[in-house]
Amino acid sequence: MDLHLTSEQTLLRDSAAKFIGAAGAKVARGFRGQELSFAPARLREAGELGWLGMLVPDSANGLGLGLTELALVLEQAGRGLVCEPIGLAAISAAALAQARAPHPMLERVTTGAVLVVPALQEGAFGDDPLAPRTQVAGEGGALRVTGTKAFVCADGADGFLVSASGRDGPELCYVARSASGCTLAATQTVDGRRLSTLSLKDAPADPVPSRQSSRSAVDALHNLALFALSAELLGVMEKAQEITFDYLRIRKQFGKPIGSFQALQHKAVDIYIKTEALRSLVFQIAANNDPYRINPALTAAAKAKASEDALTVTQACIQLHGGIGFTDEHEIGLYLKRAMLLSSLFGNAAAQRRRYVALAGLTA
Amino acid sequence: MFRRDTPAEAEFRMEVRTWLEANLPAALRGRTTRPPPSELMPWYHTLSRKGWIAPHWPRQYGGMGATLNEQIVMTEELARVGAPHLPVQGLNHIGPILMEFASDAQKAQHLPPIVEGSVIWCQGYSEPGAGSDLASLSTRATLEGDHFVIKGHKIWTTWAHHSDWMFALVRTDPQAQPRHAGISFLLIDMHSPGITVRPIKTIAGDDEFSEVFFDDVIVPAGNLIGKLHDGWRIANALLGHERLGTSNPQFALMALERIRTMARASGIMADPAFQDRLAAAAINVTVLTALFSHAVELTNSAQSPGPESSIIKIFASELLQALGELAVEAAGGHAPADGPIATDFGEVDVATAFLQARRVTIYGGSSEIQRNVVARRVLNLPN
Repeated sequence: MDLHLTSEQTLLRDSAAKFIGAAGAKVARGFRGQELSFAPARLREAGELGWLGMLVPDSANGLGLGLTELALVLEQAGRGLVCEPIGLAAISAAALAQARAPHPMLERVTTGAVLVVPALQEGAFGDDPLAPRTQVAGEGGALRVTGTKAFVCADGADGFLVSASGRDGPELCYVARSASGCTLAATQTVDGRRLSTLSLKDAPADPVPSRQSSRSAVDALHNLALFALSAELLGVMEKAQEITFDYLRIRKQFGKPIGSFQALQHKAVDIYIKTEALRSLVFQIAANNDPYRINPALTAAAKAKASEDALTVTQACIQLHGGIGFTDEHEIGLYLKRAMLLSSLFGNAAAQRRRYVALAGLTA
Repeated sequence: MFRRDTPAEAEFRMEVRTWLEANLPAALRGRTTRPPPSELMPWYHTLSRKGWIAPHWPRQYGGMGATLNEQIVMTEELARVGAPHLPVQGLNHIGPILMEFASDAQKAQHLPPIVEGSVIWCQGYSEPGAGSDLASLSTRATLEGDHFVIKGHKIWTTWAHHSDWMFALVRTDPQAQPRHAGISFLLIDMHSPGITVRPIKTIAGDDEFSEVFFDDVIVPAGNLIGKLHDGWRIANALLGHERLGTSNPQFALMALERIRTMARASGIMADPAFQDRLAAAAINVTVLTALFSHAVELTNSAQSPGPESSIIKIFASELLQALGELAVEAAGGHAPADGPIATDFGEVDVATAFLQARRVTIYGGSSEIQRNVVARRVLNLPN
């Protein structure tokens, strides 16, 4: 179903669609196993287009846009299997811009000159994002952070936004990659990129305070991350199904296009419904929530739905392709692998459903 | 569900909530079966007098002209108080069609009684030989001077035995090819001589459906909507409204509350495996609210919902069935009880709701037909 967009939003979407014209499966394949899994020049290009500072308020020299604009760009990033971490950079910029006096890294993050990414996860399942085991101590600007963060998209990162428990609850801290006591250990992922474990031992850090006292900076960033990943997964699903529907129209068996067979048509409609449902959810949340105060039950719902359905849809796309879909040479497998990565980040579907029970007060 | 109310919406929500609490009779709350007209229509009239019977209708036709968000607020509040299922053939089906396709005289005759609740409408589409293959319908309308003569048989007609008027698809050209080019859209006074109505008892124990026999029934030619033989286009526009209307999240929201009440009562609520399934179901109810808002938003700008209404119809109806199944699971040993189950948290009617949900994937075009429609008309897959 079409979205009602303003002319500015349509322009933004078109410009994002143009950006991913130079991305896609071939480019993503080229980064597999490389030392750095994206092109820094392309990240700077995204910065020049204003996307990395899109959520940053006007007062901090950002575009002051909302979740709809973020989702429009990340939907395209998902479609194009874009390797540059546009979403993670944009939400990190939003987090750095929260304080009354924005963090000194902010400007260079919004231009894409440096990359800062969130480091919020600790375990494989069941984290309470607001009660990290990582600890922060110290006063004012001189903080020290100790702990271990898992599944960090650390490729090319110059710094991290680390959640840590302090005296008064969860705090968001900026830790430079080059800080003493900061080490990374990377693991290869199925899509040829890397996730890292970030170990911090008395690492020096800056506080990244919240703009609003009602919600911690950790909570705001965590919810933004869930929303951003949901929008990107939506794009992955959309493009995977388009590739598949095209194939159904041209591939012939029994003398007819296989897309004329009802069994396959109904399977195609099933995945289409999942994609449309997620699109409505993502854009209704976007239209009705402030980036810094997204209803956490809704981000849990969106990420649960996106994580589960992106895997279901991309798997069905392989089935609809038949044998060719199982080859490394065909692009459709790359969408399944990207879905595997994004679905797992910041809590998979099962983890989000567990959060949802509590956040929506279902058992009450 | 998916948003915070603006201050104005929050104020409206409290107004609706307070008014519903004060005015909806207790006997009509939480009913899984649509109450008979003698019980239900006074509530319809109360809503009508308040000006809230048709939130989605424009003011010029006696509606509320409510914004999309106000409509969603009303839906959520009606679900919260457990409001009964109204007869919606007038409000959601023929009403919007008359606004789009009828003459001024036809609008003036038929729209005000729908808002007032002084007439009840039914829909004459399906026939014994024309279910999923609706275009093969054979109820014949022969134009003789200034009137049609109707002969034929309609079936699965919701509330026909309580209805004053029927909007019907009739065959006006038996030779037409393709067959749907010989169908017209006609309004029929159910009190006309020659009409026989026979209620059909369903597996849910109610008699919501009837079959209707037409034996040389005289209908004035002025009751034709649109042009002769052009009924199929109107029928499809109406099906769009029907699919959207039946996808209103009110019923899913109420089903979710039934599950939660039952699960607390049976003790299954403490089971993490059940909680996971409950969360998945509740998330899908939120998704339905988003889909519904999105579809209503599009409909407001394009009048008749497009084939996208098939998508939401599939999602809503299959979700309602899934919710029925989860309620059965939550009820455990109570599940097969006929009628309401008394619990410490109030009465819950699990079996009736579960059984009634069998029909939602059949009426208004079965789930399988909807998938055919989407495959061809939305995804452009080959024939």
